[in-house]
Amino acid sequence: MRKFYGLVLITVLAGCASTTPTAQCDVTIRAPLEGAMLMVEDRLTNGCAYSFDAYMAQLIEVARDNPAAGNKRAFSELLVRISDQAVISKRQASEFYNRYFNIKFASLSGDYNTCSQVCPVRSKVISQMRDELRDKEVGLLEITGDQGSYYRADHLLQESELVLEATCRACDGDAG
Amino acid sequence: MKIYLLCITVGLLLTMNIHASEGPVMHLFPTTVLEDIRETGKVAEEMENNLQDIISRLDLQQELYHGSRCAGADEDPGCQRIARQIGATYLEMLTVMTERLPQMEQAVDNTRAGLKKRLRSELGEKTTPGGLQDVLLGRQTGPADEATLALRGRSGIRLSDRFKQYYGLVASRQGGASSSLAVIASDIYLDMEQASYLIAATREEISRATLMEQLNQSFGLITPEMAQVVEGVKSILFGEQGDAPIASAPPENTGLTYVSPLEY
Repeated sequence: MRKFYGLVLITVLAGCASTTPTAQCDVTIRAPLEGAMLMVEDRLTNGCAYSFDAYMAQLIEVARDNPAAGNKRAFSELLVRISDQAVISKRQASEFYNRYFNIKFASLSGDYNTCSQVCPVRSKVISQMRDELRDKEVGLLEITGDQGSYYRADHLLQESELVLEATCRACDGDAG
Repeated sequence: MKIYLLCITVGLLLTMNIHASEGPVMHLFPTTVLEDIRETGKVAEEMENNLQDIISRLDLQQELYHGSRCAGADEDPGCQRIARQIGATYLEMLTVMTERLPQMEQAVDNTRAGLKKRLRSELGEKTTPGGLQDVLLGRQTGPADEATLALRGRSGIRLSDRFKQYYGLVASRQGGASSSLAVIASDIYLDMEQASYLIAATREEISRATLMEQLNQSFGLITPEMAQVVEGVKSILFGEQGDAPIASAPPENTGLTYVSPLEY
């Protein structure tokens, strides 16, 4: 009887081991990008949602090696699909997409006015925008080959620095 | 005369009321601020005109001093005479600056205060960070205006010309895209803050420099400090080459039209 229970326990443990999420989610992502995206989508919707960051980093690498104007749309559509399936939130999808593929900066956003939202943390925001520009270099320039948009983003950062410096000084102290 | 022609041109442009806006329209340059900028340019021009002759004379006297190998020859009576003449011209320059700087300070302060109020209200209080990006991008599809972008590297021109440039840029864009106006307003405001600080520091220094030079007059000495002050005044008023613009114009938009539903 004791032998039987031991056997059952070993069988159960072995079963668990063969379906651990680590093994199931640990996949190698290779070109072509479309296929890689389908695989990622499948994994994400089948218990590997926590691997989102790792998968996206690998997809970015695959796309960097295979630049094309259509990559931007492919990332957008993947993000929309997985957010529709509640793997990630809409906000997460939007932040990821905009960080890499939009001229505008996700780091410079918010619902309150500039004086109250940005000025108290201006240098931190500028530093985050600089980091984000590096991701835009990857997304816009390396993955999509869209030089014009990348230079507009670069220019927007420089103008934002100037305008925020002036505006925040104006917000500071009395109106005179 | 040039100023009057400029006023007439600007007046005409303003009455034409050009509406070519693509970005959100902001009221960064009401008539009062425009008037302050024009006034500051006028005061700067008067100051330059008063100082230009004196500074040219100083340059000639210094050439003569060095050409005559007077450096180190303090005992030579001829060199002492030239040194005293330089000192007297230097004092003349300080006197003109003493007379003109308060007016300049007032004009700069008025421009600075006017712009501060507008920047705070239009960009600081009425705009969100995302809105600010929209203002700067102006939702434009073409290349940005080079004249605007080169503003931050503004040295190399006379102070009064700088204000004429500011005035021209602002006046010709009234009712136009706010993106460039936001940058121009910020640029002028930061420039005025710096000018205000420099004028205050210069006014403090002038009385000390005047006293020192009055003492030096009895000995006929040329001090390195004199040369430095003159160089400083020249660079502020008449410009100095060297500063690079903050940004160059971006290349033309490549025309890729895909817009993601995820985009801000």
